[in-house]
Amino acid sequence: MGGKRKNSESEGMEGDNDGKNSNKKMKKEKTEILPSSIKNKEKRSAVHAKLKHQKKLDKRKKLKARAAAEKRALELGEEPPPKQIPRTIENTREADATVCMPDDEELFAGNDADEFSSILKHDRTPKILITTCRFNSTRGPAFISELLSVIPNAHYYKRGTYDLKKIVEYANNKEFTSIIVVHTNRREPDGLLIIGLPDGPTAHFKLSSLVLRKDIKNHGNPTSHKPELVLNNFTTRLGHRIGRLIQSLFPQDPNFQGRRVVTFHNQRDFIFFRHHRYIFETKESKQSDSKGKKAKDAKDESIAKEKVVAHLQECGPRFTLKLVNLQHGTFDTKGGEYEWVHKPEMDTSRRRFFL
Amino acid sequence: MPRTTTVECPGCPPFRALTFDALGLIKVIEARGKGGGVPQVVDRWGDPDASKCVLAACIDDRKTDPLLAVARKSGVIEVLNPLNGELSVTVSNVSNVGVRPEDDAIVGLHLFRRRRMELTSRLCTLLTCTTKGNASIKTVDMTDSPAYSGSPNTWNVCASGNIQCSQVNGSENYALFGGKGVEVNMWDLDKCAKIWTAKPPPANSLGIFTPTWFTSATFLSKDDHRKVVAGTNSHQVRLYDVSAQRRPVISFDFRETPIKAVTEDLDGHTIYIGNGSGDLASVDIRTGKLVGCFLGKCSGSIRSIARHSELPVIASCGLDSYLRIWDIGTRQLLSSVFLKQHLTKVVFDTNFTDEVKHDATDSAAHEAQSMGEVQTADETEKLPNKRKKSSKENKGSKNKASKEKEGSKKLKSKKRSKSLEHDVADDA
Repeated sequence: MGGKRKNSESEGMEGDNDGKNSNKKMKKEKTEILPSSIKNKEKRSAVHAKLKHQKKLDKRKKLKARAAAEKRALELGEEPPPKQIPRTIENTREADATVCMPDDEELFAGNDADEFSSILKHDRTPKILITTCRFNSTRGPAFISELLSVIPNAHYYKRGTYDLKKIVEYANNKEFTSIIVVHTNRREPDGLLIIGLPDGPTAHFKLSSLVLRKDIKNHGNPTSHKPELVLNNFTTRLGHRIGRLIQSLFPQDPNFQGRRVVTFHNQRDFIFFRHHRYIFETKESKQSDSKGKKAKDAKDESIAKEKVVAHLQECGPRFTLKLVNLQHGTFDTKGGEYEWVHKPEMDTSRRRFFL
Repeated sequence: MPRTTTVECPGCPPFRALTFDALGLIKVIEARGKGGGVPQVVDRWGDPDASKCVLAACIDDRKTDPLLAVARKSGVIEVLNPLNGELSVTVSNVSNVGVRPEDDAIVGLHLFRRRRMELTSRLCTLLTCTTKGNASIKTVDMTDSPAYSGSPNTWNVCASGNIQCSQVNGSENYALFGGKGVEVNMWDLDKCAKIWTAKPPPANSLGIFTPTWFTSATFLSKDDHRKVVAGTNSHQVRLYDVSAQRRPVISFDFRETPIKAVTEDLDGHTIYIGNGSGDLASVDIRTGKLVGCFLGKCSGSIRSIARHSELPVIASCGLDSYLRIWDIGTRQLLSSVFLKQHLTKVVFDTNFTDEVKHDATDSAAHEAQSMGEVQTADETEKLPNKRKKSSKENKGSKNKASKEKEGSKKLKSKKRSKSLEHDVADDA
């Protein structure tokens, strides 16, 4: 097989050389023939295959050349050529006027005046009411029990047949700071409603790809310490608002010895939720071990070689949120005013994000 | 599969607009240069403070000595100079002691256009209305700051319910109030007497009665106080004719969220409506037919719509913190400015012209010059585009002309039908 491949490769190389020569000739004769303009199917596919093969070879050659250049630079002790940065949807994101700048004083003034500032300034301690939609079974309660373990000072109340507006009223009287409603459809949680109280905004998220704790391999069990919170990539004005809404669910004074961390990571308008335990382990590298064998007086060196490694253990649940709308004021479907609603006419580009 | 069309924003004609937001800031937006100006924030008045949230504003834009009145959440009404933001007088609206201004917030504010006599004496007259229905007319002397000249003329508009909208007609003789649990009612301002109240529509075939909740109202035309358009919380737009009946003449639904803003056009039959989920549309109120929607990624509730009195342009603003300028004929988005806060109100300063500057400070003049240069450069680049635009405009104008013809025809037929109706009514 190998021999065959080699043969074919060498043939390919030869053919490629021939092809190049012929190509040059062709260029002299005609500029270029697109395979799609050939009407004969066999000929067309042959030309196309040839072209594709040629491209592949070129690419491999380029890669090899780059690797060689890097190696040479390393040997000579020079600066290696700069690494190329791949173009992704994120780093070619469309320019947006609503992206917040760190030196924007109006932003901070606005933040000071918003609904969450009293919680974030430690004036009120967060107290969360968790409830469900009216029909709730299997994965719904399991998810809620895990949410209760993630969010400190959260209380589950049975929904019963109460109106959500009544529940909001009740929670206001009991001095809750937020309400979370888990909506299930066909025994699978599919929506999350976060209502800030007493007059904070209402965010409606679509919930997807939920993985519960027991389905995660090698999962850990969280302690009852207050978790640390990581909010990633909330850049725009709307993103900041959503970030602050999420932030107001958690206590603002984490217990660092609990080594628990809750992450909300925003990427392309999807918010990924993860819950981890971490540990910093000091690990002696292999070199120090070998040195230890050689001589004991090199102890100081071995200490210097000790590395601190962070280990993560996931302790579920795991899910993804996507913002559907953000409503001004508490839950009101009929007379509510929206701060942000997704509309189909806003999807004019893949490279535009709102959070 | 999402659509992948881009909304092009051609520049807008020179204008000057003032926006008011939830932090109590007043921002001045200006666009300069003919046919392709990019609007920019040129000035910001006030310090960010949540308690100074602007609830209502009114401008009296005349050629000389214009005035701007701003009602704040703390119960204070400020009268400013809209050209440079200079505070001329502040009036406290806290009438009874013991009522917090937050509980009885101002919802309506109207600054009366001054007559010649008042001009010389530097007086200005204000009509305010609070949520609980306390309406008052005050005359304020602007020479020495907190002195009232003449006792305020106060009356109560409603016994119960919350007032949410109030409007004064073009000749400033009549005022309109409406709100949650309050039917639209009209008052004669000279006599301070209620002259008309609307009647709720009957319960539907299922016997369901929608409670009264008006969220916006306006007079249909400047010189006729008898026709009134109101928007309700149950996404209905209603046309009332005071001279005909107490029930609405025309009533139609628009989308599914409450109507938050209604503004009339100068032609007396087109209205612009904005709702709680950011849909903006123009409607011909004679027939109740939708003329068209204004499309352009408007994602937050529309709080205010303003019609420019000379240019064919409207401005809309709301909770998505954008000020958007739209063309009336083509219903195209001309440009948008991001203003960072939840906006509550926008007004046009119609006396702004590109050449003549009101505040002739040196720095501003320099800015204008440099801006002019930039724009000329832009224009040279955009020449082919411009040609296209002009051709489009021509087409548009033709269409308009034809439409107008049609409109006039319709009018005639309407008149006929109306006269018929009148006859019938007489017979009855």
